[in-house]
Amino acid sequence: MSELKRTQLYDIHVAAGATMVDFGGWEMPVQYPTGIVAEHLYTRSKCSLFDVSHMGRLLVEGSERVAFLQHVVSANVEGLLPGRAMYCILPDEDGSAVDDAYLYRFEEDRLLLVVNAANIDKDLEHLAKYVGEYDCRITNISADWACIAVQGPASKDMLMTLSSGVPVTEPMKNYVNTVLLEGREAKIAKTGYTGEPLGYEVFVKTEDGAWLWNRLCELGARPAGLGARDTLRLEAGLPLYGHEMGRDPEGVPMPVYSAPVARFAVSFAPQKGEYIGRAALAKQYEAYQRIMNRDDSDNSALPRRIQCIALLDRGVMRAGMPLYKGDRQVGWVTSGTMVPFYKAEGEGLESVITEEVMKRAIGMAYVDSDIRPDDEVEVDIRGKRIRAVIAERHLDTMAPPFARPIIYGYTLAEHAPEEGSRLEKAVRLIGKAADNHEWRQRRCINLIPSENTPSRAVRLLSSSDPSGRYAEHKTVKSFYDKDIFYYQGTKFIDWVEQQLVEEMKYYLGSKEAETRVTSGQMANTAVFSALMDFKNRLNRKVTPKRLGYVLNNHIIKGGHLSAQPMGALHDYIAVDPVTEQNAIVNFPVCPDNIYKIDVEETKKVIAEYKPELIIFGKSMVLCKEPVAAIRKFVDEQGIKTTIMYDMAHVLGLIGPHFQEPFKEGAEIVTGSTHKTFFGPQRGVIGTNWDEDDLKYELWETIQRRVFPGSVSNHHLGTQLGQLMAAYEMNTFKDEYQKAVIANAKHFAKALAARGLTVEGDPAMDYTETHQVIVSVGYGKGAEVAERLERNNIIVNYQATPDEEGFTASGALRMGVSEMTRFGFGSAEFDKLADLIADCILNGKEVGEDAAALRDGYTAMRYCFSDEELGEALDRLAGMLR
Amino acid sequence: MNYPASLQYSRDHEWLSQEGDIAVIGITDFAQHELGDVVFINLPEVGDQVTAGEAFGDVESVKAVSDLLSPVTGIVAEINEELLDSPELLNDDPYANWIIKVEQVTDTEELMSAAAYADLCETEA
Repeated sequence: MSELKRTQLYDIHVAAGATMVDFGGWEMPVQYPTGIVAEHLYTRSKCSLFDVSHMGRLLVEGSERVAFLQHVVSANVEGLLPGRAMYCILPDEDGSAVDDAYLYRFEEDRLLLVVNAANIDKDLEHLAKYVGEYDCRITNISADWACIAVQGPASKDMLMTLSSGVPVTEPMKNYVNTVLLEGREAKIAKTGYTGEPLGYEVFVKTEDGAWLWNRLCELGARPAGLGARDTLRLEAGLPLYGHEMGRDPEGVPMPVYSAPVARFAVSFAPQKGEYIGRAALAKQYEAYQRIMNRDDSDNSALPRRIQCIALLDRGVMRAGMPLYKGDRQVGWVTSGTMVPFYKAEGEGLESVITEEVMKRAIGMAYVDSDIRPDDEVEVDIRGKRIRAVIAERHLDTMAPPFARPIIYGYTLAEHAPEEGSRLEKAVRLIGKAADNHEWRQRRCINLIPSENTPSRAVRLLSSSDPSGRYAEHKTVKSFYDKDIFYYQGTKFIDWVEQQLVEEMKYYLGSKEAETRVTSGQMANTAVFSALMDFKNRLNRKVTPKRLGYVLNNHIIKGGHLSAQPMGALHDYIAVDPVTEQNAIVNFPVCPDNIYKIDVEETKKVIAEYKPELIIFGKSMVLCKEPVAAIRKFVDEQGIKTTIMYDMAHVLGLIGPHFQEPFKEGAEIVTGSTHKTFFGPQRGVIGTNWDEDDLKYELWETIQRRVFPGSVSNHHLGTQLGQLMAAYEMNTFKDEYQKAVIANAKHFAKALAARGLTVEGDPAMDYTETHQVIVSVGYGKGAEVAERLERNNIIVNYQATPDEEGFTASGALRMGVSEMTRFGFGSAEFDKLADLIADCILNGKEVGEDAAALRDGYTAMRYCFSDEELGEALDRLAGMLR
Repeated sequence: MNYPASLQYSRDHEWLSQEGDIAVIGITDFAQHELGDVVFINLPEVGDQVTAGEAFGDVESVKAVSDLLSPVTGIVAEINEELLDSPELLNDDPYANWIIKVEQVTDTEELMSAAAYADLCETEA
């Protein structure tokens, strides 16, 4: 085997007792003494190391590097921003794959193309045919840099141990970063070939390769060989060149679009020009669209596709075995084996991954395009026909930190049908509702920051007569903008709405207020719709242009769901044709306080992107938003934009103790009225333009996008309750807001003093809002939140800005506003901090103590007392009895 | 590697133990090690004929499938059904976990002693 090439880590593999094999001309470890099954399982449960230094590392430099890559790879390289990585394919003119590759942009001016080990020479030869036409050069730096894939749920922790706690990359897939690991330079990408939601590929200089491998082993990682790499990627449904890509078992080139990853890896953006294989890929794409729409009228450009396949009977399928449907051969298995997994017990977030090892025979197959998921086929296993089924997927990676096996045919247990007649059910329902009310209002301490309990008067008013009525109305120019109602019987609610608008304008400090929206999300939808309508108002003869660029807080950094493309922005955000991604940029955050917007960096982003809309506001919010600084900057720079503050969470804190958005320069404020505000569940929109301002027309558009655009029945009962809440807020806001912020700071300090890890800047007492964020350990948030609920303390688990998503949540988000309204002060929050610390840190049961603490505080503060409201309230209450 | 002296060995890495008229057959430590993690096994049925030098079943590891070659000709008297559910037992202890028992043995391959088999494995490794 002397002619075989060896990686920087060869000696380590041999010393560890690895079985070495020839892999594409490289002498590589196929497995270590523990074996493939153990290596596979250790990757899924802890962390494995894979030597991927055999892969080709090609550096692409020069002024026309992007133009060159646009010509030779399938993806849109202009969509690859510095700090990101992307999967791509090197297509051939016939629309098949020369190779597949990963492209990393650690730096603006150099791109790293990583190709398959066995294809390096072929790829270099292929690329050499084109590179001469560009001011661009390719350097094979494989010998200078080692690459180690660090994959598995514990990978992040281990790398962050070496980086002294510095986050190694942003938590999202395909982000890359350059960091120091114990003083040595490492280029780290959140990428991998195992399907692990937490997995990294780490490039270090050749001389540091052995050091990194050994350090990670000391931290608990274990080596894994090519065998486990293959079973892991197969389970994850990732293609392997030579199996799911390249040529089929009969030697026929496989179209690129036959691999499901092509959907993400191929771009037809105009700036890519006539790149290699474009015409053939475009034909495949047309066929792909037909096939996905279940139209098999012409599959000639894409006769077969790669799909996941699972055996239904006992056996193991292997690459090359033919597949049949009846007598017709419908394709081949391209990869197949028996893959192990740990059995999970229970359902949903509470499911527990046990140590019991199970196995399943799965594979991937190249099958006729009219064969679709759930179709049964037969695999010819050495002459025997074994039943198999096309499966959507074998693994799901959307619940980090663990990849979860998807077992074909598994279904959740059905709920037992409710017993009894509907009358019996009705009586039971009311009983249960009373139990719930008793628990939530007398025995349990609610710290969900987006919730409140409205006062008795607000609740009575909300359920009084208007709750079943309609009051559609709009202003009509012919009548000098007089509000015209469509139905009779609405004079009372007309008066209510006028009062409410006046109270909300006073509260927001705005010139206008729209109170008909029934939620904060609807408020945002109406505003985005209006902004888009306003943008297109001068030309109605073409399809309206969407909004872009928009600057907002990233959801991982605490951004509000209602201001995201997946939320209310969905139908209004443009796709940037250059990057082929949503025209969204995010506020940069301070490196030393990731809960705070970095103003100086934000200015650079605004100068570069010139966003037409800037949306402040978060749902995980500890800091004030720098509205005034950004307003000053855009005015000085003459940048035309609209500044909106989505105050959902902090609507009830508007004032000198927190922020006064319109004084600071916001033009639009939206919010929900039931978080820190005192109202029932509704929304509100405020704007501040004068009637002679150009954008006053935008205000009018907002009103139209509320009605008839968003709501015709604007929930008149809660609108009436809302008026009382606004009276309360405008009367008591000064003392309420002061108390909420003081309580939050006190509570945060009390939790920290008891040994809990409180997020945020200690110099500002951790928080400037009603919220307190406590870290309880990566991925432990849901479990701890559930334990607190059993102990009558209600919080919500929360992913911090470093975490991948809600299933990986390592924090608790708590708000003090509701308990402040029930009379909690510093002494009570001290007691509560004792209970929470005891429960979380010492595992104590504190439910009875929590209930006892709550039971002493059931009278609502910061509202008018029953005595003050006197006979009027008694009369209404009597009628509703 | 462990090759108990009480057993006889075939060139195809099976072991054989004679229990009265019955030949007990399994795979050797060398074989299980070469296979890696055994994940599946195909066995004949009781009453099937097996032939010396021919496959009586196959054993699959994560990596590949390998035929199980019979060292004797005869009739299958018993199969180790436990292996159908837990084929990894062959990795745990290939000698405690026999695969088939054969009766009415009419022919047997040339078999080796533990020492001779160890030498063979040495050259193959």
